[in-house]
Amino acid sequence: MAELLRVENLCKDQILNNVSFTIEKGEMVAVMGPSGSGKSTLLYNVAGMDQPSGGSVFLNGEEITKLSEDEKAFFRLHKMGFVFQQMNMMGNLNILDNILLPAVQANRGGKELGKRSRKENRSSKTQLRENAAKLMQKLSISDLAGRSITRVSGGQLQRACICRSMINHPEILFADEPTGALNKSAAAEVMEEFIKLNREGTTILLVTHDSKVASRCSRILYLLDGNICGELKLPKAEGSMEKQREETVNKWLMEMGW
Amino acid sequence: MTGKLIWNDIRQNKLLSFVTLVFMTITAMLLALTVLLSVNLLGAIDDLMAKAQTPDFLQMHAGEIDREEISQFAGKHDEIKEWQVCRFLNLENSSVSLGGKSLADSTQDNGLCVQGDQFDYLLDMENKRPEVAKGEVYVPAGYRALYDLSVGDFLQIGSCKLKIAGFIRDSQMNSMMASSKRFLVNEADYERIKEQGEEEYLIEFLLQEEADTGVFGTAYAEAGLPANGPTVTKPLIRMMNALSDGMMILVIFLVSIVVLLISLLCIRFVLALRMEKDMREVGMLKALGIGKKEIRQIYFSKYVLLAACGALVGLVFAYLIQGPLVKQMQELYGVAKSGWQTGIFSVLAVMLTEGIILFSIRKGLKRTEKLSVLEALFLEPREEKKKEYLQYLLIGFVTAACVFLMLVPENLYSTLSSPDFVTYMGIGNGEIRIDVRQTEDIARTTMEVAENLINDERVEKFTVLQTKNYSSFLADGTKCNLMVEEGDHTVFPVSYVNGTAPEKENEIALSTLNAKELGVSVGDSLILQTGNGTTTYAVCGIYSDITNGGKTAKADIVNAQDDTTVMWSILYVSLKSPVSRQEWLSEYSSKGIKAVDIADYVAQTYGQTLQQIKLAKGVAAGAAVVIIFVVIMLFMRLIVEKKRYSISLQKALGFTSGSIRKSYMIKGLLPAAVGIVTGLLLCSVLGEGLCGMFLQTLGADGFRFVVEWEKILLLIPALALLTVVLAVRLGISEIKKVKAFECCMRKE
Repeated sequence: MAELLRVENLCKDQILNNVSFTIEKGEMVAVMGPSGSGKSTLLYNVAGMDQPSGGSVFLNGEEITKLSEDEKAFFRLHKMGFVFQQMNMMGNLNILDNILLPAVQANRGGKELGKRSRKENRSSKTQLRENAAKLMQKLSISDLAGRSITRVSGGQLQRACICRSMINHPEILFADEPTGALNKSAAAEVMEEFIKLNREGTTILLVTHDSKVASRCSRILYLLDGNICGELKLPKAEGSMEKQREETVNKWLMEMGW
Repeated sequence: MTGKLIWNDIRQNKLLSFVTLVFMTITAMLLALTVLLSVNLLGAIDDLMAKAQTPDFLQMHAGEIDREEISQFAGKHDEIKEWQVCRFLNLENSSVSLGGKSLADSTQDNGLCVQGDQFDYLLDMENKRPEVAKGEVYVPAGYRALYDLSVGDFLQIGSCKLKIAGFIRDSQMNSMMASSKRFLVNEADYERIKEQGEEEYLIEFLLQEEADTGVFGTAYAEAGLPANGPTVTKPLIRMMNALSDGMMILVIFLVSIVVLLISLLCIRFVLALRMEKDMREVGMLKALGIGKKEIRQIYFSKYVLLAACGALVGLVFAYLIQGPLVKQMQELYGVAKSGWQTGIFSVLAVMLTEGIILFSIRKGLKRTEKLSVLEALFLEPREEKKKEYLQYLLIGFVTAACVFLMLVPENLYSTLSSPDFVTYMGIGNGEIRIDVRQTEDIARTTMEVAENLINDERVEKFTVLQTKNYSSFLADGTKCNLMVEEGDHTVFPVSYVNGTAPEKENEIALSTLNAKELGVSVGDSLILQTGNGTTTYAVCGIYSDITNGGKTAKADIVNAQDDTTVMWSILYVSLKSPVSRQEWLSEYSSKGIKAVDIADYVAQTYGQTLQQIKLAKGVAAGAAVVIIFVVIMLFMRLIVEKKRYSISLQKALGFTSGSIRKSYMIKGLLPAAVGIVTGLLLCSVLGEGLCGMFLQTLGADGFRFVVEWEKILLLIPALALLTVVLAVRLGISEIKKVKAFECCMRKE
């Protein structure tokens, strides 16, 4: 498989120390580690939300650590998707509009670049809505389109967040503790969605505390005191082997001192 | 999408959006009103002066004139475009009645005149030159409302009756501050009535555009031409015209500036609160890759929309409110021709106001740009205590500013309407003023009146002041005229900015404008040229004066042997306490002595201005009450919203709604009370200075507020307090709705 993301000697103050790893297209990688080990910092620095103090990050061969703030924003909008633990939705917009928000923004950028006619814009708006509807259907939240974000459950909201992160067809999806704020059943549902997306070809890098979540990934990186000190490769996720994978992960984590 | 975001944000934050809109509207309205009124007033005055062809320089003169002498002078001066001598037939007020009402109490010099030959026209209400038929009269526009007149009423002078055919605008003497009023009659009627009054002359000059009236005045004085009366220049006429209504505009302008400051402060505070709440959203938008510009646009667009609405509503309100306010202006000066200019200037004023507010908001939003995604996402809210403290501080500040807004116009009004204010106008603080003017022998008549007063046991004290015209010299040596009021100035002293009244021989006190022009101050010497040669005087005092163009002087006796003609005499009188002033005045009036109550004099001279300031103080008080109410209600609501958890917890612990509300009531009232006291202090420290600065331009220096303490200490604080109580009550009404179980459902 082709390499999608390469992280070289990434440093961030005292939190990350020369972290290096690569992720190939279609992989689903979990980053685990105790609290304060630098998991979220690693994610935010890799995603270009924070400026590392050293090292480089390449996405599809392009070094994003060297980009300006605006260029990074462009990268995040068009090539990356992000799912937060706290969902972070716009309170003023309903579910559908929240999902459409990055798409509208990306479309606006396109308008500037391509100078499309008004008619074309209108048709692309319809297209955006269709895309959003398809995504919502896929994540089983079609009936929530017009709802306010305060009137849906945590699991539903997180699925809406996943829709939003996927609306611009990103090359990679980052997720920071995506099930951290959810109850057990909602967490399982959300995790199913990630797996579905991964199966369809989306590359995912997620940070988690939950060994059950991590066991659904193809690879786990173990971070301790800002260093990657372990890596576990798992066979492709199959429903029947779920328990066995979980045991493997737990055993490995114990070895890592979890 | 942005539209949806704005609309939903406004819907979800109705109160905050409404308050922001109210601030934007009030500020826009007040500034637009200032501009509308100013443009209207100045435009109308300019229009009127242009149509009337107001003279650039005019010399009033009582006594004979030699036209040939003036003609020779005019021939030598190229800067004179045209000149003319207008006649003014000064009438005895007690023999004049207007619409059945006697003018005996009028403090004005009322007289007849005919239309000017070449310029200085008196215009009708359409600003056209009226043709006056025989038996008809046109009455000064200012008298229409004052004496409740209408066309068809009569002006009676002795036994002669003239029918009022219309009203005239007099570009020179429209303002009640001008001491004379001209009635326009037919030439034949003028000649017929001539015997019943004293004829005076207005020697008028229309100068070339580039000519300097000051230089021309000096040339006129040096030529020794007739000068037995005050000199008036076009700028002075313009200022006098603008002054009566200008005071109202000044008050409204002052109010709008304070309101703009309050608005900026409150909107920025509300914005800071909102942004703290919205910071996570900003972080999320940044994380999603939405650019700085777009994020700013999302948050800024709402304010642009609100500002646009505020500007529009404010403009509409300004147009509605200006109606009653410009009524008097339009009566006196007509409608300003430049309608489109008014429109453009008011729109520009509104745009400037909203621009300032939006600029401040944009600066506030800059904070979002500087934050990184992570800072925005995980920013810890500022310390709650500090925010709450700031809110209470703002309640205090806004109350103080609003009380200041209510007090300054109130104090200005009470000062201008107080009898003591005359001492700032160069008038002694006597009870009664007797003017001796336009008689054959002023000096003799004055002596007769003085004898009457000496023999009158009801008179407590009096003084005789005679005005004579002498020559003096400017700093560069050029000659100038100086009107000197001679007599004992210590009996009814005026307010002196520096020094004291002249008590010894060879001492002279000067009005501030004269002192400035002559370039002297207290302690300097001044040379006066009398009929018997030149004498050096020591300047002993400088006083403020706004009578006779602000250029006067006071001396004990200039020269006992000097026989310079007395231009006019003024006698100030005060009566013993049980004597009825009205009876005394009517008794003296029946003797043909023009005696007026000084309180009436002030009321008549400043009546127009006071009326306008009264309106302006109403606007100021209204705006202040609305602001106090809106701001305090909003802030109390915000405080209750923030404290919802602890209120719920208190309820869960057994506190009643009433006891919780009481504690919040005290918390709201306390800073407001401190604000009221601060407002009182601010008014006495700053307000006086601000009004003083303005009055100084008119020659009234060293201005002190005359305070009506019962209003200042009771009425206005009570009104402010009542508004605060209502606002706090409404602001904390939500406390009732907080349920005890809420604290168990959510964390603070």
